[in-house]
This record gives sequence, C-alpha cells and structure tokens, in this order.
Amino acid sequence: MIPDNSPLLEIRDLEVSFDLGKRGFFSGTRKQLKAVDGVSFDIRRGETVGLVGESGSGKTTVGRAILRVIAPSGGQVLLHGEGAPLDLVPLGRKALRPLRPRMSLVFQDPYSSLNPRMTVRDIIAEPLVVGGQLRDRDAIDARVREIAARCKLDLEHLRRFPHAFSGGQRQRICIARALVARPDFVVCDESVSALDVSIQAEIINLLRDLQEETGTSFLFIAHDLNVVARISHRVAVIYVGRFAEYAPTESLFFHPRHPYTHALLSAVPEPDPDLPFTPERLVGEIPNPADAPPGCRFHTRCPFAQKRCKTDVPVWRELASDHFVACHYAEEFDFRRSREPAGTTPAKEREIP
Amino acid sequence: MLTVENLTISFRTDEGRVTPVQDVGFSLAEGRTLGIVGESGSGKSVSTKALMRLLPGNAEIGAQARMRYTAKSGEEIAIEALKPNARALRHLRGGEIGMIFQEPMASFSPVYTIGNQIMETIRLHRGLKGQAARDLAVEMLTKVGISNPDARVDQYPHELSGGMRQRAMIALALSAGPRLLIADEPTTALDVTIQAQVLDLMRDLQRDLAMGMIFITHDLGVIAHIADDVAVMYLGTIVETGTAREVLKSPAHPYTRGLIKAIPRADRLDARLEAVPGDIPSPSARPSGCPFHPRCAEAIAGLCDRATPPEVTLGVGRRVRCHLHETRAVA
Repeated sequence: MIPDNSPLLEIRDLEVSFDLGKRGFFSGTRKQLKAVDGVSFDIRRGETVGLVGESGSGKTTVGRAILRVIAPSGGQVLLHGEGAPLDLVPLGRKALRPLRPRMSLVFQDPYSSLNPRMTVRDIIAEPLVVGGQLRDRDAIDARVREIAARCKLDLEHLRRFPHAFSGGQRQRICIARALVARPDFVVCDESVSALDVSIQAEIINLLRDLQEETGTSFLFIAHDLNVVARISHRVAVIYVGRFAEYAPTESLFFHPRHPYTHALLSAVPEPDPDLPFTPERLVGEIPNPADAPPGCRFHTRCPFAQKRCKTDVPVWRELASDHFVACHYAEEFDFRRSREPAGTTPAKEREIP
Repeated sequence: MLTVENLTISFRTDEGRVTPVQDVGFSLAEGRTLGIVGESGSGKSVSTKALMRLLPGNAEIGAQARMRYTAKSGEEIAIEALKPNARALRHLRGGEIGMIFQEPMASFSPVYTIGNQIMETIRLHRGLKGQAARDLAVEMLTKVGISNPDARVDQYPHELSGGMRQRAMIALALSAGPRLLIADEPTTALDVTIQAQVLDLMRDLQRDLAMGMIFITHDLGVIAHIADDVAVMYLGTIVETGTAREVLKSPAHPYTRGLIKAIPRADRLDARLEAVPGDIPSPSARPSGCPFHPRCAEAIAGLCDRATPPEVTLGVGRRVRCHLHETRAVA
C-alpha cells in the first residue's frame, strides 16, 4: 500500500522526563533528566518512519512514549481514527485499554521477549485474548494460523515452545504476535539488530511485505542507518532528546542538511575496499542527557559550530517540502552524497530548492 | 609469524560432542591484518581463543592441530604443546599476543582503577615498577587518544564511557608490547561515530607498532576498511580466504556471495534485499558434506550433501572450499 497523506499519529512537542531522585533530603530540588525534549513529527497511514540515533539519544523513549508505555511529561500524541483525533497523553490506564489493540511493539531480543512456558500458538493468540477482539476459540485459531502463515511460520510449529526456534524464527513469532490484532501502528525497537546479516535481510523483507499488505504504520527504531534506509519511507535523526532532521529517506540519505546526519552517514563503513572511508571527525562522544549542552546540543562535537550555536537553540523548521531540520546554518551546507556506482543519480534532488 | 593448521576444537557437553571448529587453517604475516568474518556460531571466536589457550575445560583441541608462533626473540613456539601452567604460556598471553574483547566492561575488573590494571600488566610483562610503570600507563592512555590521561589513570572502568573504555582496553593490551593483537568484535558494541574513531586508532597503532593483527567481526563493512586478508567462516570451517579486495569484490564461495548481497546498503533503496534462505544450523546439528549445502542455491544434489568439499587453490593465498570450483578446475 502506498502511504496516503492522511496522518495516523501527530506528535507535538513531546517531552519525557525521568526523576533522578532528590539531591539532599531537605533541599527539595529534584534533578530531572529530559530524555525527550520537544519532539514533533507525524506518521502517516501505511507509512514506515525510521528513527535513528546513537545510544542514549532517546530513540527508544520516543517509541515508548507514543505507545504510552511510559507517561510523557508534556506535549501531545494525537491518534487519528474515526471522528476527532484523540490525545493519548492525558489518558489513564483504563482509558488506554480499548486503544491497546490498535498499537503494538516488537522488541530487539527475540530470546527474552517470548515466554518460554507458552506455546507459540498461545503467544501469538495472546493479544486477541487480552484485547477481547475474538472470543471464540476456533476464530482465534483461524486468525493465528492466518498470521503465522503470512509470517512464514510452519503451522506445526504452533504447538511447540519458543526454545526450539532460532533467532530469525523467534523474531517472526514476535512479528506475528504484534500483527495478529490488526493494529494501526507498530513500533519496532531494534527488531533486527540482534540477528545475523543473512537472517536480518529476510526479516527486513518480511516487514516490508507485511506493511504493504496490511497498510499498518511502523515506527522503526534502529542504530543501523542502512537497515533503516531499506525499510523506511521517511527517516528522523535524533540527538540527545531532540530531532536533528526529518525527511523522506532519499533526501535524507543523499542530501542531508544537518551536520550530525552527515557525520553519521559518513561513519558507516561500506563493504567495498574501493570506496573511500572518510568519516567526519567528530570530537568526543554523545553528551549525557542529564547534563545536555545549551544552545544546539550538537555544538560540542560539530565541526562547523559557530558562536551562536552555543547559546541559541536552533528552530525546528521545514527547509524544503517535507524536509525538516534543526540547524542554524542548514542552508549553507552541501553534504550531497554521490557514491553511486550504477548510474542511479541521487534521486529526488529536484525537491530541494 | 603465525601459522595454524588442521585446528579442530570440540566440546564435551551433556548432549554429546559438539565440534564448533573443524579443520581450520590460516596464517598471518608480520605487520598484516587478517580479518575473520562469520555469523554467530561460525567458530570465529573459539578458534582464536585456542591461540591463547583460553578454552574452557571441556574443550579438546584435535591431535592433528598445529599452531606455530614466532616470538619476539625469533624462537618458534608450538602453542598446542604448551603445558597449561607453563611460564612460556603466561608470557605468551599478553606479552606476545594481546587480546581485546567486545565488551570492555566485562574485561576490566570493576574494583580496580584503569591505571592499576594497566600497571599490573606492565609490571608482569615489562618489569617496570612504581612511578616508571605509572608513567608508561599514562603514556599508553595518551597514545590511544584518551584526553586528560593523568586524571583518567585513577578512574574506575564505570566512570568511562563505552568508547573510552574500549580505548583503555586497547591501551591495556598494548602496554605489554605484544607482537600480535587479537581483536574480537572490538567495535560491535559501539555507536558508528565512535566505531569510526576506534577503527582509525587501531589502524594507526597497528601501522606504527608494526604488529600483526587478527580482527574478528561479523561486519563486512568494517573488514573492508581494516583488513589486508580475509577468512570467511561458516559453521566452523573457513570457506574462503584471500585479500580483502578479492573476497569482497569477487567472492568465490556461494555463502560469501550471499552474505555480501544480504547487507543492506543505502545506495539502492527501492530494491528488495536478497536474503540467504534458511537458518544457520546449530553446531550440534552440522549438516553432512558441505555445511552450507542446505542453504545454497547452487548445491549439487548427491555431491554437496555427501562429500566434504576439498580446499581449492585459486591463486596465491586465495583458497575456497566448494565443489563448484573443484569441478571447474577439472573441466
């Protein structure tokens, strides 16, 4: 299914804070860690949005806050459906319950995310049973068999327990479980990172196929840029709790506008000894979000940082149609990447003025 | 400087004997980097641990195995013949062959400072004590690009970030002055920007110190930029060897070809990935014949599933274990 332009989720100024505990017993000031600090983007129907960032950037927290696994401390998460969009942020546990079947999650580690004492059939059926969508055992069985077949699981595997399966098969079980209740929206949090390359490719293809068939929207969180590129329609880059850039995949990969995106892309070694490997030299490491730098958060490592970057927070703006960036000097950079072998010029350049 | 031949390692387990490494051979010349690539269960870590004799007690090295290492003194050491508690073995570990692991937090002791642990190595292998050892520790930390080494030397491992810990680990391994460095997935747990820094560092150090290096990874991208020679492992056997350019540009084994095609690359966004069909079998259920035949599109029925493919030499240092090349060579 080609994504249409109607949004499924609109995320506005999302903030998530964690308490780090009181400093002293009488001081009363609580130290807070803002893991996500004012993130805005939308996810369309039938679209896969990739979210990349280094460890500690807050990418997992964004996914969990949207699913309301954790409570955001500010902002809105508008879920569109029939009628007016519904803000998930103020809702409590009970109010969220009827919405749960519409949202789902696939974790990173297929070994710890499956209950070893349940059969594969029961694992996949659980969202249907808990959500109360289907009550009739035969109807549940039929749906489980349908989704299992789509996820390329053998039907006779349904009677077995998870320990009998390899990593790739387990991840297919997780995907079947996530999709069994026909959700509108699935968060995949590093769902292929733990798999070997030869297995990973198959899972990426499976997710692409399932998404085209079902029209489910995905938020695909990963640290591997090339994996994200292969699966996403649009990609967001997050750095210490704030978005650096959000754009259609091809624009982002072939014409990034933020120095951080450029640095990330240049740091990925390609399996070709003839391609030059010239990673942008970034000084130091990703800052601790509890002690985030003022101004632009990337200024401590940015090779192009100016005086202004140390004090002024860059505005999140639409630089070109659908291409959002948070950098004071985005217009001045030309990070066009053309490492093209077979005549495929960096596409969609014309979109950028 | 290092030659390994006929290395077979098996483990005695409750479920019988498992043989994760079968008949592995490779060699390394001074100042060169050998990259060993393989997926999980391919035996890449186990075979290098055998070089340090660091295998657990239930492991057995096959009687045919030969591991010859030429020491700094020019003396040739037969690693497989060393007694487990021999002085020579203790000198070999660290002093001749250094090792870096994937998870630096697990390789450092959490209750001693970084400096303390580096100085212990220096004391054992370099014979320096007190201030001289400390000075050398600070010098090593400076060499691996740790800022403010005078303060860092007194910090505990948990006070350093992941990238810094890995640098400290490299400093620790190098402080004993090894001639050969074995790096087992040293950048896998790091973020890409940090990985790029550490790869740079390792390449520079290797060149400056003229060490031999064995670099184990599952990432062919990393291999392309750090290794001179490559050995591709699948289920405990080396299926293909050659220079990094030969192996990555014109892979000879169907597994290597499949692996290279399966890597997602950002240059062709719309195309589907070509997956290698099937799953990696467990080492305890190794397929007969060629271990790759159940997943191989070019498998010859009646041959690949029965006979172990011989090693076919395609050129200098270029070898492949595949029946396809054998028949081609005959024809």
